[in-house]
Amino acid sequence: MGHGKYIDPFRHADAPACHSERSEESVFRVAAGESLNLQYVVLPGESRDIDVNIDLVGPGAQAHVKVLYLSGGEEQVNIRILMHHRAPGCHSTQKIHGIAGGRARIDFHGTIVVAPDAQKTEAYQENHNIVLTTEARVKTEPQLEIYADDVKCSHGATVGQLNVDELFYMRSRGIPEAEARTLQMLSFLSPVIPQGREQEVETAVRSL
Amino acid sequence: MSESKNIIQEFTSAEYKEGFVTDVEQEFLPKGLSEEIIRLISARKEEPAWLLEFRLNAFRAWQKMPQPDWAHLDMPEIDFQDIIYFAAPKKDKDRPKEIDPKLAETFDKLGIPLKERDVLAGVVAVDAVFDSVSVTTTFRKTLAEKGIIFCSFSEAVKEHPDLVQKYLATVVPPTDNYFAALNSAVFSDGSFCYIPKGVRCPMELSSYFRINARGTGQFERTLIVADEDSYVSYMEGCTAPMRDEQQLHAAVVEIIVEKGADVKYSTVQNWYPGDADGKGGILNLVTKRGICKGDGSHLSWTQVETGSAITWKYPSTILKGDFSSSEFYSVAVTNNHQQADTGTKMIHLGRGTKSRIVSKGISAGVSQNSYRGLVRMAPGAVNARNYSQCDSLLIGSRCGAHTFPVIQSQNPTATVEHEATTSKISEDQLFYCNQRGIGPEEAVGLIVNGYAREVLSRLPMEFAVEAQKLLQVSLEGSVG
Repeated sequence: MGHGKYIDPFRHADAPACHSERSEESVFRVAAGESLNLQYVVLPGESRDIDVNIDLVGPGAQAHVKVLYLSGGEEQVNIRILMHHRAPGCHSTQKIHGIAGGRARIDFHGTIVVAPDAQKTEAYQENHNIVLTTEARVKTEPQLEIYADDVKCSHGATVGQLNVDELFYMRSRGIPEAEARTLQMLSFLSPVIPQGREQEVETAVRSL
Repeated sequence: MSESKNIIQEFTSAEYKEGFVTDVEQEFLPKGLSEEIIRLISARKEEPAWLLEFRLNAFRAWQKMPQPDWAHLDMPEIDFQDIIYFAAPKKDKDRPKEIDPKLAETFDKLGIPLKERDVLAGVVAVDAVFDSVSVTTTFRKTLAEKGIIFCSFSEAVKEHPDLVQKYLATVVPPTDNYFAALNSAVFSDGSFCYIPKGVRCPMELSSYFRINARGTGQFERTLIVADEDSYVSYMEGCTAPMRDEQQLHAAVVEIIVEKGADVKYSTVQNWYPGDADGKGGILNLVTKRGICKGDGSHLSWTQVETGSAITWKYPSTILKGDFSSSEFYSVAVTNNHQQADTGTKMIHLGRGTKSRIVSKGISAGVSQNSYRGLVRMAPGAVNARNYSQCDSLLIGSRCGAHTFPVIQSQNPTATVEHEATTSKISEDQLFYCNQRGIGPEEAVGLIVNGYAREVLSRLPMEFAVEAQKLLQVSLEGSVG
């Protein structure tokens, strides 16, 4: 961010061993003019509970959360984000993109709360999921609770599959199917791939 | 800014013109709820034994159930022993076949024609329910010629017991939820409608519910069955007098849509919303559900919710037949102290099923308006599709608008999209209108109607005009 203090600039957990249960609950208070950037990456084989509470308490505070998950086995990924706008003029964005294969269970619960006096709030949340197999399950609950009127808030959630037309387009131009699917998945995830970890994510996508 | 606030304030403090009381002689069962009372209701309606058994089972189940508190509502405690469960206008002994002129006058005042000749040729057939009984059902003969059954629920139990027994509680079982169980135990009257195979209903069918007596609750039950390849459009309206105490309305609506049939269900809900300080009003706690049973069937819900102190209502569809489809269009307006928690459930079971949800919430005053929805793609919902859009419009800085959707996908070929936005009527929009000579109040009406247009345009013509006016009145005094 161009201005303000930069809190916890780059946060991602190290990949734990397969099938380990890992829970992290984090509470953040973001004061006036500060900016919080959070980034989570969940790679295949990880079961995770991500539980984040963000409190925007000072005017003009900012928070940006990105979550990427890739699950292709027996993983259970629970993502819970509470974005609480308590002060006026705050700005928050959330992007949660992921791909579920195998018998993965994905559970997303994201809430944006805008307090009564938090006017001029801008809060956006996006949750996009791709389901690859019949056994995978995705549940998403994006919620808005708004108690102020001069706000711009939106959320969007989708659950779907890789676009067959795109796949056909690429294959008709000589790209092998497996490669085409990898490209599709990478482009789908691109908004949430952290800088410097592109290679790691690509390897994980290929492993799905 | 302050000027625009004033305008909003004026705009949202309108009058409830349906708030009068009809002075008609009525008979009541004693207050309170017990097996005794249920037996009395059943006896009074001369019901068969199986229906009494059904009521008693529901009552026993209800006694063990806790009142749900998951909704985003500040619900007052309801004393179920302080409600009269049955109230009916007395029949004149000299003229048992005719409608009491006072009742006719009441419905006339509400704009509901009970005399067939008054109605534009073959437009709408009405089943008018006054407190606990159906007063009259119009056009029954005309409809019977086509094999269509349209009558009050009590008559259906007597005249078509096989049909009622076959379909009753197949979509909303008595133990479905707390208020459905209560309704199953004490339901009094409602409408029954059966469209035979391949018949296209020649006119709109409608039910009009009126609460009149003090201290009563209304518990109507509506059952609509559309047999294969039939079509019907059904409308529902409701009003109640202005009172300081709150009154309970707990209805159940069940719709069965067979193979290739098409049902359109529209509601304009205008129960008394309580006064500007949140005193009085109707508690509208309703279970509505339909099932698209056969392949290629279609069910469409359209609702305009402007009344009630509290609205707790989720018209839902179970998409069981392959390639069946359903829509839910809703405009919910809350003003003053009103609270609404409304939305839909789309349960996709069959292949290629499609659903679409468009919800427009408008909150003003200090009201709370929530959308709550569920979209579930079951493992069998191959290539199923859902699109949901929930928009909220805030008028004034002390109201709330909330969105609680749940999406569950258990099928990799199913696609679900959900989108929600929240915004307010901007000063720019108001300024633009004012500058072109459109008064502030009119401008808000214009903007709100434009915002809700997608839903209003789905209403049958007779309703659409009414709904537009209602929107404007409901928001009177709230412009800002």
